[in-house]
Amino acid sequence: MIKLIEKIEGEAKLHFSFKNKKIDFVDIEFLQTRSIEKILEEKNAFDALVINPRVCGICGHAHLIATVEALEDCYEDLEVSNKAKIMRELTLNFELIQNHFKWFYFTVLPLFGYKQAVLKAALPSQIMAKAIAVIGGQYPHNSYAVVGGVVSEITHMDIIKLEQYINETQNFFDENLIHLENEDILKCESIDSLFNKKGDLSQILGDIRKNKWEQLGKSYDRFIAFGENSYFTKGKSLKTRRFTDISIEDVVEFSTQSSYAKNVTFKDKYFEVGPLSRAIINKNGLIKDSHSKFEDSIVSRIVARVLEIPQLLNHTKNLINQINLDEPSYIKPKIDISKITSSGYSAVEAARGTLIHKVNLENGIIKKYDIITPTQWNLSNGTRENQGISQKAMIGLKDEKIAEIVFKSFDVCSVCTTH
Amino acid sequence: MSDKKQQKKNDIIEASLELFASKGFYNTTIPDIAKALKMSVGNMYNYFKSKDILAKEIIKFISIYLGNELKKINEEDISTEEKTRKIVAIYFKIALARPEMIDYFLRIYLSNREVFKDGCEGMICVNEFVTEIMIYFEEGVTAGDLRDQDFFSAFGLFMGYLGGMVFLKGEAILPKPLDEYIDDISYNIYKALSV
Amino acid sequence: MQQKVKVLWITGLACNGNTHSFLNYPNLGQFLDNFEFIYHPIIESKYSLEEIVSNTIPCDVLLIEGSISAEIEKADKKLIDIISNYAKVVNKIITVGTCSTFGGIFRDSEYEDITGLHFNETLEVERFRKIKDKTISISGCPIHPELLINTLYSIKNKIELKLDEYLRPKEYFAYTIHNGCTRNEYFEYKVDNHQFGKKEGCMFYDHGCQAPFTHGSCNKILWNEVNSKTRAGQPCMGCTEPDFPKSNLFKTKKNMGIPANLPLGVAKRTYLTLAGVTKAFTINRLEKDIFDD
Repeated sequence: MIKLIEKIEGEAKLHFSFKNKKIDFVDIEFLQTRSIEKILEEKNAFDALVINPRVCGICGHAHLIATVEALEDCYEDLEVSNKAKIMRELTLNFELIQNHFKWFYFTVLPLFGYKQAVLKAALPSQIMAKAIAVIGGQYPHNSYAVVGGVVSEITHMDIIKLEQYINETQNFFDENLIHLENEDILKCESIDSLFNKKGDLSQILGDIRKNKWEQLGKSYDRFIAFGENSYFTKGKSLKTRRFTDISIEDVVEFSTQSSYAKNVTFKDKYFEVGPLSRAIINKNGLIKDSHSKFEDSIVSRIVARVLEIPQLLNHTKNLINQINLDEPSYIKPKIDISKITSSGYSAVEAARGTLIHKVNLENGIIKKYDIITPTQWNLSNGTRENQGISQKAMIGLKDEKIAEIVFKSFDVCSVCTTH
Repeated sequence: MSDKKQQKKNDIIEASLELFASKGFYNTTIPDIAKALKMSVGNMYNYFKSKDILAKEIIKFISIYLGNELKKINEEDISTEEKTRKIVAIYFKIALARPEMIDYFLRIYLSNREVFKDGCEGMICVNEFVTEIMIYFEEGVTAGDLRDQDFFSAFGLFMGYLGGMVFLKGEAILPKPLDEYIDDISYNIYKALSV
Repeated sequence: MQQKVKVLWITGLACNGNTHSFLNYPNLGQFLDNFEFIYHPIIESKYSLEEIVSNTIPCDVLLIEGSISAEIEKADKKLIDIISNYAKVVNKIITVGTCSTFGGIFRDSEYEDITGLHFNETLEVERFRKIKDKTISISGCPIHPELLINTLYSIKNKIELKLDEYLRPKEYFAYTIHNGCTRNEYFEYKVDNHQFGKKEGCMFYDHGCQAPFTHGSCNKILWNEVNSKTRAGQPCMGCTEPDFPKSNLFKTKKNMGIPANLPLGVAKRTYLTLAGVTKAFTINRLEKDIFDD
């Protein structure tokens, strides 16, 4: 039977086949493509900074950062100030945070029978959007990161504003998602304790326990992340065995007949990307505990995603303290883009996982551009013999309603996947 | 300002141009000009409060005059090559019919910058003329006829060439009449500036 | 209790940027008290996508986001048929964003004849000509949420809006992005020494800013209530206009040093004369950093 999944930044079709009253295979079909990689061909390199955020309306900023870093990778000798790097990381973090709020309050609540909490999704997202706008001019869709740094200058007063926005968002999280009395969520290392707290997350965890879904949605327990910055580490993890020596050369993207989305493998295997992946690779205490009891089930996946909110808010405060306002925002590249014939790539941790951009330039003109999005990793449409991450997670379940819960625990972005 | 007053101003300007051309700028005084027009010196000062002010008004007058002629050419529906020829032709025509004007521009305006530095900063007093040259260039590039380049490189080539030819004429060095050089000169200019 | 205005939000080839910009509207709660979505790309609604496309559910306003092609389907029904059906029952149609208004970035995707609802860049599209008199265009990539929401309120209150030739409300689109930019003084006095990364300077001369000839209110109604691209130092990319995106975007196209695109309504001679005058003078305050030591 075919189920149309909607409100995942677009739609997708899940073709279920059943055997002995259980799901025996799921074919994941994405229904459109906008051919952005083709649109970019023969364009001036810097035009990609304007086009690529339009890959996606909710994570377009990650595409901007990935684009500028891929272009900068084409230069041999390029200087970007620490101040510009921090500004880019700040705005990227703000985007991740609003993604997670929206996913929880728009997507997760209805899976458990609750109405969407539209205003709870919108309010913290608006604050984070303001924070991005203070630095980058507007949100969504800005191109404030350019080769050599960023276009904007920020001042002490701007930073004061940002700190207030961060605090406001943190308060919102504390009052709504995980309500702790005199406890710091960042120091919590017991997953069981989360089940008994107040707050919307604990409500959902309680429902998972009530329905006996704690072990639901397990896949290969294989994780990977390529984006490295001051918070996230690059690496792969097979269960909890971590390896940091991984190369993008071993990432392969390939088309299948059945869908407009392409599949992605690392050394011919499917890997999960996203907050759970990042937390395992970073060896986060609370997620390690969740993993020890629930492995890569929806519990670990949901908690890891929600937990990134206070983690990133806290990290952002640290980053802000490190900004040296005296540094330049932009350092003009020594070589003009029209003289660059080279290739470059970048990997950035977007809300849903690793985002990879690859570009080939000839005299400053784009000859080839490849984008690999996180949803492509998680929702690769494998075969019965070699199942993709989310396929494996759904196979063996008893009906398509439960399958949808597992499917959406990956936070699907249909537009990204069908760029 | 009334028509009569404007007409009187123009008369003064014309007379001044003739005297500056024949006697030289520094040798010509306000009383000299007043005498040529049979005006009292006091009355002269009603129209132009000083010789420096008169000097600036004259260059603006010339700029407007030349600018108008160039504007007519720019607005014609002809090719860039034909416009080039017409610009050269009109410049030489004025050089012949009103030699004191071009003479003023080359020998007085360009050579005595200290007179013009306050009130004629940059190219503001020749704005109308320069604007038309800019339009000729810009439309030539947009039409795909002229090579896109720095404005001053192109301006120097065009104006330097024309000014140089008029200067040589003034020094009685050119063997042929100015208008017999129009074909070669417009060809050279167009060839140098075109794509 | 007044009846809520029923709105259908349907999406063609899009990135959903307009949907997310819409969610940034500060008084969203109040809006949702007055308007009800029979379908929305993110907000829950009474009807599923399949129900919406297989029936013609009563509603008052049709919102279309994303570029349109005869080949695009939603829940296995052709988008153009869905639009035709609902166009018959609604009072007003709004094209939300540059893609559904003019074709936008995805005009170059690989489907057949991708266009906006009524326009393909500046050319008129035949297919939906009959519903042109019901349509209002809110262009932008993405739209500014206030423009969409206040237009919906004006429909609710039965206010006749003055529209431009592309059906955009003049109240928002008669302005240019240049109106209200904090860098205006550098433009006024033709101080063309702009460098990226600085609060000072105007990006029109060298860095491709299209604000003086782009319609919109970005510097009048700020983005996210705090800022705008040009204030932050990024050139305006002309995203509300039919030919968005142009190419070689971060560079000003010049012909012999003269900007190829001049401010809206300003004649070439006027611009050059003014430029000639202002360029003759140096204004020290504008040559220095604003926070001068």
